[in-house]
Amino acid sequence: MEFLSYLSPMFFALVGFGVIVGIIFGAIPGMTATMAVAVCLPMTYALDLINGLALLLGLYVGGISGGLVPAILLKIPGTPSSITTTFDGYPMTQKGEGERALKTGITASLFGGIFSAVILFLFAPSLADFAIKFSYVEKFLIILFALTVIASLSRNLLLGIFSGVLGVWFSLIGSYDISYGGNGEYRLMTDAMVPYLESGFSLLPVLIGLFGLGTIMQEAEKGIREEVGKGKKLDLNGGTPFSFSVFKGEMINLIRSSSLGTFVGMLPGVGGSAASVLSYTQQKNFSKHPEKLGKGAPEGVIASEAANNGLTGGALIPLLSLGIPGDSTTAVLIGAFTLQGIQLGPLFIGNNLDTWNTMMVALLFANLVMFFVMFFAIRTIVKVITIPKYLLYPGIIMMCVVGAYAINFGIMFDVWTLLFFGLFGYLGQKVGLEVAPFIIGFILGKQAEVYFVKSLESFGSLTIFFTKSPIAMVLWVLILISVVFSIYGMIKQKKNNNKHA
Amino acid sequence: MPCQQDHPGETAMADGSSLFKVSIDFDQSHLFFPNIIHWILLILALLIALTEGPKVLRKMRARAEENRGPEASGEKDQTRKIDWLRLLGMLVLTILYFYVMEPVGEIFPNTGLGFLLTSIPFMFLLSTLFVHTPGRREFITITLSSIISPTVAWYVLAQMFNITLP
Amino acid sequence: MKFLKSGLAVAMAAFMGLAASQASAADVELAKNLRIVIGSKSTGGDTYQNSAIVAQALADKLGINVKVDAVGSSAAFKTLRRISNGSTIMIFHDQSYLGYLYGVKGYFNIFEDFTVGPTVAINPGNSYLVPKSSPYQSIEDIIQACASDKKIRVAIQPGGVSEIGFSALKNAIKLRYPGKEANLVAVNTGSQSDKNQLLFDGQADLINGSVQANEQYTQLPAEDQKAMRFVWLTARPETIKQTKPEGFGDTSQEHLLDFVSPKASVTQDGEKDFTFDKEFFFIYNKKMDPAIVDALDEALGEIYAEGKIQETQKKSFFIPNFKPSAEAAAYLKDKMGQYEVIIDSIK
Repeated sequence: MEFLSYLSPMFFALVGFGVIVGIIFGAIPGMTATMAVAVCLPMTYALDLINGLALLLGLYVGGISGGLVPAILLKIPGTPSSITTTFDGYPMTQKGEGERALKTGITASLFGGIFSAVILFLFAPSLADFAIKFSYVEKFLIILFALTVIASLSRNLLLGIFSGVLGVWFSLIGSYDISYGGNGEYRLMTDAMVPYLESGFSLLPVLIGLFGLGTIMQEAEKGIREEVGKGKKLDLNGGTPFSFSVFKGEMINLIRSSSLGTFVGMLPGVGGSAASVLSYTQQKNFSKHPEKLGKGAPEGVIASEAANNGLTGGALIPLLSLGIPGDSTTAVLIGAFTLQGIQLGPLFIGNNLDTWNTMMVALLFANLVMFFVMFFAIRTIVKVITIPKYLLYPGIIMMCVVGAYAINFGIMFDVWTLLFFGLFGYLGQKVGLEVAPFIIGFILGKQAEVYFVKSLESFGSLTIFFTKSPIAMVLWVLILISVVFSIYGMIKQKKNNNKHA
Repeated sequence: MPCQQDHPGETAMADGSSLFKVSIDFDQSHLFFPNIIHWILLILALLIALTEGPKVLRKMRARAEENRGPEASGEKDQTRKIDWLRLLGMLVLTILYFYVMEPVGEIFPNTGLGFLLTSIPFMFLLSTLFVHTPGRREFITITLSSIISPTVAWYVLAQMFNITLP
Repeated sequence: MKFLKSGLAVAMAAFMGLAASQASAADVELAKNLRIVIGSKSTGGDTYQNSAIVAQALADKLGINVKVDAVGSSAAFKTLRRISNGSTIMIFHDQSYLGYLYGVKGYFNIFEDFTVGPTVAINPGNSYLVPKSSPYQSIEDIIQACASDKKIRVAIQPGGVSEIGFSALKNAIKLRYPGKEANLVAVNTGSQSDKNQLLFDGQADLINGSVQANEQYTQLPAEDQKAMRFVWLTARPETIKQTKPEGFGDTSQEHLLDFVSPKASVTQDGEKDFTFDKEFFFIYNKKMDPAIVDALDEALGEIYAEGKIQETQKKSFFIPNFKPSAEAAAYLKDKMGQYEVIIDSIK
């Protein structure tokens, strides 16, 4: 227990500070955990490794968690991984259950965070060995699995799938990036577009454009009326108040979602947003009331939030036991280690037991701080929706601009992307395009391409997707189950609708 | 660019069905996946046209008839009516805002002032456009909010956290 | 010799800097807020780290704000083209001209389109690895395997720094065993984790990697699926000799030298060995005031003369390597010329 000597009050103060700053970053639409860690990285130059990590891990946990605030209250995902939180979180707010949704989300986040931290602590090296069994083929199947969510999210199956594939199409615009092993050639655009679209559209501006600007345009069309401010919805606790009994019967959901988050987090290159998407689909497939999901069911918020905090521990697994980041935020964390001259790789944990142990303490503590800070700040946070829209919306646009401009460290085109996709979302919905499937297709499109094409380049045959490994076959079974469930759900819903009609 | 691309699986897979064999030329590999996506989109579009097309036509016909009827409910129209002033006004303001932000910023390189100096008037004008019951109280809150929020955002992000802003 | 020369240059620059520092502040208007855009999108990578170290030193020296933005190469070149007043400059490495030599979209001849500024550091880590259980003990074994018609699959990221060693190896095989170079094939992939993964999957026989990212894998027991072994470091021997004697991780400098020319020899032209050091340098807008170029040279000269930055760089396994603009540009242009020959010869 030598490492206990490293745990100074300063250490805990830094974790706490990190969490609070992280939450603020996460809560601003367009500012992400990655951004929070990146901008605070220089602050750690002055600290030693352990205190530096305390700050950064706090930021990481806070940043991932903060994303649920705008997702629930404003229907704008603060970070890409909280997209699925909007599906049920915002309808809850509309019912006057904003506070309940937030508290549910935060508690699920706490569970996911602690769960993944424990998994990380106990099984990191062996899980890393498992993770490297996933080659291009298996990773493609994981992405395909996540894409099946499109079917279950669609209001109209065909239009939903079309929107999803269109999202994939948009994600491919630009060059076939050499940093993923592509050949760097341009496609899907004209020469005139090259100067702007060389590297394609960035996810974050697309996301906040669709959800942020797009929504504001819809409201502007309706004349920005203050329905929320007046009448029944002024009462922030109009619906069912929060109590922990909301988790009754959700234990399986919590564990499944946290495990999925941890698992997706530990696969390098699959990316964080897939985690909450996957667990949301699974919840929908296994739920007793799948028809309620998407209309303000707490279980949806639980699935999404448990998964995206489960990500934190998961993404640290390959980082600490292979030296390879599991997501974009942990990629920034690498910088903190190398700056201090600490080498990451398969020997890290064994060589740096004290650092490892203190990191675990920081992670657990960060999750607790996150929970208490947010749980008790909610009463204030939730008042955001009482701000009159004529003041709120211009402010949101301004913050979206900041986020879009800053996400790639100062690129004006990302701000224009915001407007473009705002319009696209606004007009698209008029012709039946579905935003949620579209954005999921967009998020997963690039990876689907790389893993699909690289699998074929290596193996030269389509059969490899079925025969590569037992893991591949298990994944196929999961994909099939998921598809069958969503079609079955669709049919059942139709029958119900017909009955009511 | 080199065009060597290896197919180590080729010999091993030779006994498998050649139907599933795919060989990708690395130099052209950037088009492989987009082509698949194009086909899927096309097929889906056709399916949608087949299944939804008749429905849409029916709806359009119904709407045309409804419009002919003079007793089209006025109340319904009120809520459905598009507020062109606010919608287009917002678009114009946003485009202007994005358009001038960077040039203004270049007058004060790398300070983020371009953001601050354009956000204040943008927020003020947009709020004024959006507000329904303009009065003294609203005017004061709008003025305060459009000065305070960009300033706080600018100070905290650009100054304290050194984030690049226009 | 070269080393002496650059040492002299440093000393001279330092002297001139001391003499002129008072005056220069007055005649050159250096931006109060200097922005350094870098050619990498990662804030955890070597380009960012290196630039952050230099930025910090410059900020302290000149009393200005300097910030580093990881915008990526195409956005960085675009920004640099637009802003000529010296408020934005760029730091990148050999990728900037290798991308051009390999014909990657979005790269230009930096010597024509931009002004090449001073070099600041070397990342000596570019290396090639095999699985620990591989039958190939050295890079020579691999050349011989190709010569005897065995197919060797090399996992690289195409179009730049990761490919240049592969091209050189191919060129060497062509020079020694003409026609056999076709046995060396590229498996084009992306990040380091993708390259490692191909090795674990048995889809590659040799991978491009780095001392920093892969050293611990070389310490694993042979029966571990993840265990690897260095066979070749592309750095110049004199670069590796400047590392700390402890080397990196559990691999001493002496041991690292086993994988460097002349012990691991890949010929460039039949006479001398091919070497490649990943060097970081400044790139400026072509129209930027030459006085700013000089001022930055001067400031960096003083920083390096003080000797503190070298410690910071070495701590992160970078080799300090300051050359003022004119010298750096000539040196890099020559370097590019040599690699152009190699890339052309195997086309």
